[in-house]
Amino acid sequence: MSRKGAGMNDSPYWNPRHETLPRDQLDALQVRKLKRLVEWADAQVPWQANRLREAGVTADSINSLDDLRRAPFLTRDEWMAAQLEQPPFGPILAAAPERAVRYHMTSGTTGRTPIRVLDSLKDWEWIAEMWCYGLWGFGVRPSDTVFVAFGYSTFIGFWGLHYACEKLGCLTLPGGAMTTDQRVKQIVEMGATVVASTPTYALRMAQEARSLGIDLASSAVQRVILSGEPAGSIPATKRLIEEQWGAKAGDTAGMTELGTIMIFECSDQPGGTHIIEDHYIEEVVDPATDRPVPHGEMGERVVTSFGRGFIPVIRYRTRDFVVRVPGSTCSCGRTFDIYEGGIRGRVDDMKLVRGTNVYPRAVEAIVREHPEIDEFQIHLYTADGIRDEIEVLVEIPDQSADADALLSQIRKELAETHEGLRFGVKRAENESLPRFELKAKRVLDERIVIGGEGERRQ
Amino acid sequence: MENAMGVTLNEAEAEVVEAYRKLEAVLRDRADELPPFARRNAAKALAALWQVMNGLDMDPGQPYDLGV
Repeated sequence: MSRKGAGMNDSPYWNPRHETLPRDQLDALQVRKLKRLVEWADAQVPWQANRLREAGVTADSINSLDDLRRAPFLTRDEWMAAQLEQPPFGPILAAAPERAVRYHMTSGTTGRTPIRVLDSLKDWEWIAEMWCYGLWGFGVRPSDTVFVAFGYSTFIGFWGLHYACEKLGCLTLPGGAMTTDQRVKQIVEMGATVVASTPTYALRMAQEARSLGIDLASSAVQRVILSGEPAGSIPATKRLIEEQWGAKAGDTAGMTELGTIMIFECSDQPGGTHIIEDHYIEEVVDPATDRPVPHGEMGERVVTSFGRGFIPVIRYRTRDFVVRVPGSTCSCGRTFDIYEGGIRGRVDDMKLVRGTNVYPRAVEAIVREHPEIDEFQIHLYTADGIRDEIEVLVEIPDQSADADALLSQIRKELAETHEGLRFGVKRAENESLPRFELKAKRVLDERIVIGGEGERRQ
Repeated sequence: MENAMGVTLNEAEAEVVEAYRKLEAVLRDRADELPPFARRNAAKALAALWQVMNGLDMDPGQPYDLGV
C-alpha cells in the first residue's frame, strides 16, 4: 500500500520558528509563558496558589527564569497525598471536571497508588501536538502508515502518539487487543512504514517474527518510535532493535503527569533527545542538595509544563536521571537542548548490593551488547540468610552458541563496570523468563537483607 | 499582525488567527444559536486552532468555559 504526501512544506521542524530560536529569545518566551502559568495556577487552583504564595511567587514576581527557583518543588508523594485527601483527583484541577473529555492514570510501575488525570478537548489536542514535534522531527510524514503496538487503556502510553499520527495525516493502525504474532503479521501485511512500541516489545515482536519465519528487516518498516522505557537510548539495545527491524529507532519519553512526551530524538540521531523547550522548562538538579547541576553532569529532571491547563505542573520532581547538553551538539539546527543518552534511569531504580550501586540500565547496556541473548532478568536474593546476592538470568536460544564463554564474558564485564562486584550470570531455559508488552519489569528483588550491614527488610 | 513576542506574522498565519478569534467569539456570545452538531464541532475546531494560536505566541489563554 502506498500513500501520497499532503504536499505540505517539508520543513524538518514541526514549529520552525520555535525550534530554532536563539537562546535569549527562547528564555524570553519561557519567562512569558511562566508568568501566564503562575497567573493561571494562582487564580484557579487554591492549593497551588497557597504553595506558591508561601514561597513569595506570584506572576508579577517572575522576571527571569531564575525566579522559577523560588517556587517549591512538587513531589509525587505530595501529589498522591493530595489525591488521597481529596479523591479522586486531589485539589489540583484548574477547571471543572465536567469540562474533561479524557481520564487517564499512571501505569503503576512503582506499585503505588496511581496518579489520576483529566484532560479537556484543548489539552488532548496539545498532548497530540507534543507527539507531533517528535514524530515530525524523526521524519514521520503524512505518507506513512503507522502501526501502534499498544494495549489501549487508561494507561496513557501511546494514546497521544495515535492522535498525533492522525493529525499528521498518516494512516494509523491501532494495534490493541492483538497477540504478538497478529501484530507482526498485520505490520507486514499492511506495509506499515512506522511502528510505535516500547523498546522491550520491539525486541519481542522481532523475536516473534523470527519464529514465524518473517524477516522484518526486509519489511516496509523504516522507523521504530520507542517510548516507555529508558532502553530507547541505550546504544546496545537501540542497535539491536535497528538491526532486527532494519529500521531507524528513535527514542522519546513522556509522563502521565504531563500527559505526553517532553523529549524526542530527531532524525539526525545525536545520541540523545531534544527537550521541547517552547512547552516545558526542564531543570536538572542534584537530588541530594537540590542545587542546579551544570551541562554535562548527571542530575534529576524537574519539569514545569506550559501545556495542560487543566492540571498546572510547576517544578515537578520526576526522579529521572539525565545529563543535559547544549542543542548545538546536534547537527539538526534545533536550539532545544538535549538529554544525552535520554533518560538515564530513575533515582528509585538504584539497588545497593553489598555496598555497590547497581542500576538496571547499566546491566542492560552490557547484556544487550550480546545479540545471542533474547531475554534477561536481574534477580536479587539473600544467601545464607545474611548476604545479598545479584544474578542475571539470560536466555540464549541459539543452541550452537558457546553459552559458557558468553556467560563468563558477561560476568567479567558486569564486574568490571561495578567495582568488582560479583554477579552470578546463569542461563535460563528458553521462553522461561517473563515477556512484556508495555514497561518491562526485569528486576526481581527477593532480598530479606539489603546491603552489607545486614539491615533487615522484613 | 504581531504576536506577543513582537514577531510579525505572515498573511496566512494572520488569517488563521482571525479564524480562531471569530470562532471563539461565536462560541462565547452566540453558542445558544448553534444546533448541537455545530456547537460541538466548532468547539473541537477551536481546540485544534488553539494549538496554532499557542504555537504562534498569540497568548490564547485557557478557554475551558467555552467547552474546549
